[in-house]
Amino acid sequence: MQLTMKSRQLEKGRHIALRKLPALVGTLILFFFFLLPILRLLLMSFTSGETISFGAYSEVLKESVTWRTLWNTIYIVLGSTVLSVILGIMMAAIMAYTDVRGKSAMQLFIYLPFIIPSYITTLAWVQFFSSSGPLKGLPDWLIPNLYSVGGIIFVLGISHYPLVYLMTVQVFRRIPRDAELAAMVAGASRITSWRKVILPMALPGICSGALLAFLSNLDNFGVPAFLGIPANIRVLSTYIYEQVIGYGPSAFSRAAVLSVLLGIVAVAATLIQVWLLRRSKVTETTVPDNEPRIQLPSSQRRILQTVLWIFLLGTSLVPFLAMGTVSLVRAYGIDLTWENLSFENYRYILFEDEKVIRSLGNSLLLGLITSIVCLVFGTLFAYYRSYKQGRFPKVLEAIITMPYALPGTVLALCIILMWMQPLPGWYPGVYGTPAILLIAYITRFFVLQFRGSYTAFSQLDARMEEAARTNGANLFTRWKQILLPLILPGVLSGALLVFLTSLTELTVSSMLWSSGAETVGVIIFSFEQAGYSTYSTAFSSVIVLAILLGGLAYLIVQRKGKQRGRKA
Amino acid sequence: MITLQGLEKHYGKTAALSQVDLTIQKGEFLAILGPSGCGKTTLLRMLAGFMKPTAGTIRFGDTEVANSKHSSKPENRNIGMVFQSFALWPHMTVEEHIRFALKNHRFSQKRTAEEQAARITEVLQLVGMEAFRERYPAALSGGQQQRVALARAIAPEPDILLMDEPLSALDAELRISMRKEIKQIHKKLGATIIYVTHDQGEALAMADRVLVMQQGQIEQADTPETIYQNPKTPFVATFVGKANLVEGTWNGNHFIPAGSQLSWQDNGVSVQLKQKQLFPVRPEEWQLLPADADGLKGEVIISQFQGTERHYVIRTNSQDYQASLPIAASAWREGELVSLHVRGRETQYTTDEILLELR
Repeated sequence: MQLTMKSRQLEKGRHIALRKLPALVGTLILFFFFLLPILRLLLMSFTSGETISFGAYSEVLKESVTWRTLWNTIYIVLGSTVLSVILGIMMAAIMAYTDVRGKSAMQLFIYLPFIIPSYITTLAWVQFFSSSGPLKGLPDWLIPNLYSVGGIIFVLGISHYPLVYLMTVQVFRRIPRDAELAAMVAGASRITSWRKVILPMALPGICSGALLAFLSNLDNFGVPAFLGIPANIRVLSTYIYEQVIGYGPSAFSRAAVLSVLLGIVAVAATLIQVWLLRRSKVTETTVPDNEPRIQLPSSQRRILQTVLWIFLLGTSLVPFLAMGTVSLVRAYGIDLTWENLSFENYRYILFEDEKVIRSLGNSLLLGLITSIVCLVFGTLFAYYRSYKQGRFPKVLEAIITMPYALPGTVLALCIILMWMQPLPGWYPGVYGTPAILLIAYITRFFVLQFRGSYTAFSQLDARMEEAARTNGANLFTRWKQILLPLILPGVLSGALLVFLTSLTELTVSSMLWSSGAETVGVIIFSFEQAGYSTYSTAFSSVIVLAILLGGLAYLIVQRKGKQRGRKA
Repeated sequence: MITLQGLEKHYGKTAALSQVDLTIQKGEFLAILGPSGCGKTTLLRMLAGFMKPTAGTIRFGDTEVANSKHSSKPENRNIGMVFQSFALWPHMTVEEHIRFALKNHRFSQKRTAEEQAARITEVLQLVGMEAFRERYPAALSGGQQQRVALARAIAPEPDILLMDEPLSALDAELRISMRKEIKQIHKKLGATIIYVTHDQGEALAMADRVLVMQQGQIEQADTPETIYQNPKTPFVATFVGKANLVEGTWNGNHFIPAGSQLSWQDNGVSVQLKQKQLFPVRPEEWQLLPADADGLKGEVIISQFQGTERHYVIRTNSQDYQASLPIAASAWREGELVSLHVRGRETQYTTDEILLELR
């Protein structure tokens, strides 16, 4: 009797252990893939040879080039952030409050520099300002030199202002119209009410937009690599890249030290942003007010519209046309005329240079596998995160966010250090194969899919699943008939984002690629470094067209998602 | 029959539910009434199986469905549930909602496709939604959505129907008419209904028995009439009957309001209220008399016309009292002095003997 009791208890104990097993395994996997690489980097920065020391730190911090790089990074990141913030706020205020026409078309153009990888944007601007570009009639001193600190700030600022716009426009719309009216009734002029009421209320949104732009500028590799390296201007991200590529005796520990410096700045900024967003949550509960608040006289409105369109077309369409033009001439530097028009460059990259096609295949395959893996596991994790209470899921979320919050060069170094020898004595041999790129992409973009799926789940009333449960539906039926149909649009748009981002990834790839495992970004970068501008622009044009098609698909998926009701 | 024994639910150190013992008869309409955070939703979600108790047991008939170690899943319980937010599935038509329930509910009788179609028609007729079979939830009004949610819950003929504030998302007029419909459906089905609400009007109008909860504990469980007329605790008196709690002294079955020489006769004030030296008077129980009549002396502070009745706030030496009198009674103006008298309770001056006794 007692024996059976005991065995039954044992059985029960085993059941509980079994039920906790998936969570345990999942946690271990998350820890191994997302956290351990970062810890390995920290460890590496304190290692010289076999012993633990601060040697690498003191060596790196003693060099004047470190400090010059650091100052360059600060100038460039702050300068471009200021530019992004000014452009972003102005654009957001105009779009939120005035009655200019054609807002939805303008919105698309605002997002354009944002969905096209920044190194392609850089190429486009280089062609726009080149001596054979559309400005060639102007005297030389009027054409700015992009290969300079100012040039890098300009391109970064233009590329990242949509982030500020995105974070502020909804905040502006959510500020109650009454708040402004109340200030004006109390005797404040429009300018005073802006200064004292609107801007302070929008501050959380502006700050988080600014920090997001700051992080993106800090993280960016493409722009300083294309514009800075030829002009000998280094920032932390390109300096780390040069260290790792240079492959000196202490390259890894030196790069690790620099990465820790860069990582500290990035993590600090992320924490500030998370903290600010938490405080701004109160304003998010009010419904956005999409009606224009400032009715402009029609003449002023037309002038404003013209200025906006010149700016939007000038910053998005024209540079790409300049880039397209270069890709269509026989040789770099000659004018585009009927005689010079040729598809020779396209023929070369698509049919002659096998590296191009291989890279396209690699990137497509990597993007596809990355997005499928992220789709399945990111969605499962989002489900877990949305129904599980407590601190633990939040900690896990923070862990998977880290590889994305860290600058790409830093993550790439983490991945290298981790996967050369993941555990003592285990050499999986992925370094130098496409597998390491796949691991890096999944680690880096996992959080993008998680966010998309998590938003989809949080827009879903949890009662909908409960209603299915009280009607006897098991887990499988619930997923198949209730959850999946409802979250699919959100989940798919997350997957599309992951796919597009990994398709054109450059930062991580530039440090992890190997012969035979080239990616699109790497090939464009190497064409440009070798001076084959006609090939790099042709390949970039192909990619831009593909992205535009992808972006269109993304919009359609999202629109479909909106048509389906969410919360009843 | 549902039996709850020593049911408790703790979140860390805070108790959402403590020591709940309750028996619910088969076919009973039980309303659980209480302010937000009183534990009524916790209790309902535990009955549904979405939560596991920290201690105690839940039994449906003879089977134990939940204890502190094991709680059978909602999908394995013979229940139906109606949610406050309706929880309709936006990608399914009205008909598909009912079919989903018929197909998946584990205790629903097995039906062929034709039998299912017949049952769908039957249920939709019952809630008056037959004309909307092909509609999606987005194309239905709030009241219609609630009817679909109700139809989905009752279609598989569950033994127990759980309703979580099902009317609170509807507007006032619709709420009143839906009360009648739910009551009629209960009569037709004969299922046990457990209905959670914070609206005492709903609870009193529909339920066979009302369970008043506060801070995770049962305050009183009785018929609507008893709950209203003979509240056991100060909380029930104020929450359900909106009663004024007159302070004073109980002396046997006489009550002497503080600062007066009056004596009110007891007719059914609970032990607990007596122990706390309180006498509950609902607003409509007051009678306002001219200042020179016997009663508690006070001044009319607020006099508000409300259509069917008039609301007063009367300030006495010790307290402010709420009164509400039918419009037929003559109106008092703000600032007038009045004498408060409890309708149907004999008011007399205390004799010196009693006063002596009190001392």
